[in-house]
Amino acid sequence: MKQHNKFSTGRHQEQTAESQTAHMGAREFQSVEDLLRHDAAQTAVPPEIARRLRQSIAQSAPPRRPWWRKLMG
Amino acid sequence: MNQACAPTQCPEAAEAQLLPAELGALYAAHSRAIYYLALRFLGDSHKAEDATHDVFLKALRHLNQFRGEASARTWLYRIAINHCKNMRAAWHDRHVLPSSESEVFERLPGGDSPLRILETKELGGRIQKALDGLKAEYRLLLLLVSDQELSYDQAGALTGQTADAVRGKLFRARKAFADLFQKTG
Repeated sequence: MKQHNKFSTGRHQEQTAESQTAHMGAREFQSVEDLLRHDAAQTAVPPEIARRLRQSIAQSAPPRRPWWRKLMG
Repeated sequence: MNQACAPTQCPEAAEAQLLPAELGALYAAHSRAIYYLALRFLGDSHKAEDATHDVFLKALRHLNQFRGEASARTWLYRIAINHCKNMRAAWHDRHVLPSSESEVFERLPGGDSPLRILETKELGGRIQKALDGLKAEYRLLLLLVSDQELSYDQAGALTGQTADAVRGKLFRARKAFADLFQKTG
C-alpha cells in the first residue's frame, strides 16, 4: 500500500486504506532468511509438475514385452 | 520450511502418491524446496515448473548414483543448481540482458535492522525484485541458507567454497537484499 495513494485520495478512501492496513497487519522479520522462509511456506508447488512427471515417466518407460516373448523366455 | 508433510496438509504430498514410489517419497519431501529455489533463482514461474520437472526426472534416472553419502536434499539441490544455471546461461545467450538491476537501485543506508513490512499480495513480487537485483551468487546463497535443513558447510559445498566464505558473503548479501527490498516498498 503506497502512501501517495493513501493521501492523494478522498477521506473515505483514506479510511478504507487504513482499515485494510490494520486488517492485514504489519509483520516483522528478524532476518532476510526469515522473510524467505515465510515466502517459501506461502509458495505452493503447482500440481502440474507432478502431472508432467507422470507423463514423462510413462513415455520414457521401456516398452512392455509382448506375451509371446514371455512364453518363449 | 520445506519439511515433508502429510497429503492432507500439502498438495504436493498428495500428488506425490501418484508417482512411482521411489520418486514419490523424494517429491513429497523436497519438491517445495526445489521449486522455491528454482522460482526465486530464475524469477519465472513457468521456467521454475520446467526446472523442477527436469530435476526430479533426472533424479529418478540417476537414483542408482545416489549412495546416501550426501542428504537427498543436498543431492537434489546440486542437480537443481546446475540445471538452473544452465537455463539462465541458455537464456542469457539468446537475449541481451539489461545491466544488473542493482545499478538501477540507489544504495540505501542500513540493512541490519529487522524488516518490518506489511503483508500484502505483492510480497512475493517485492522479494523477487530484490533478489533479481543481487549478484547471482548472493541470490543463490541466501536461498540456500534460508532452508533450515541446510548447514553453512553444505551451502558451501554446493557453491564450491568454505563455510567461512559463505558467512562473509552472506553478510554482504543480507545487507544488499535489505537495501533493495526497502527500495521496492
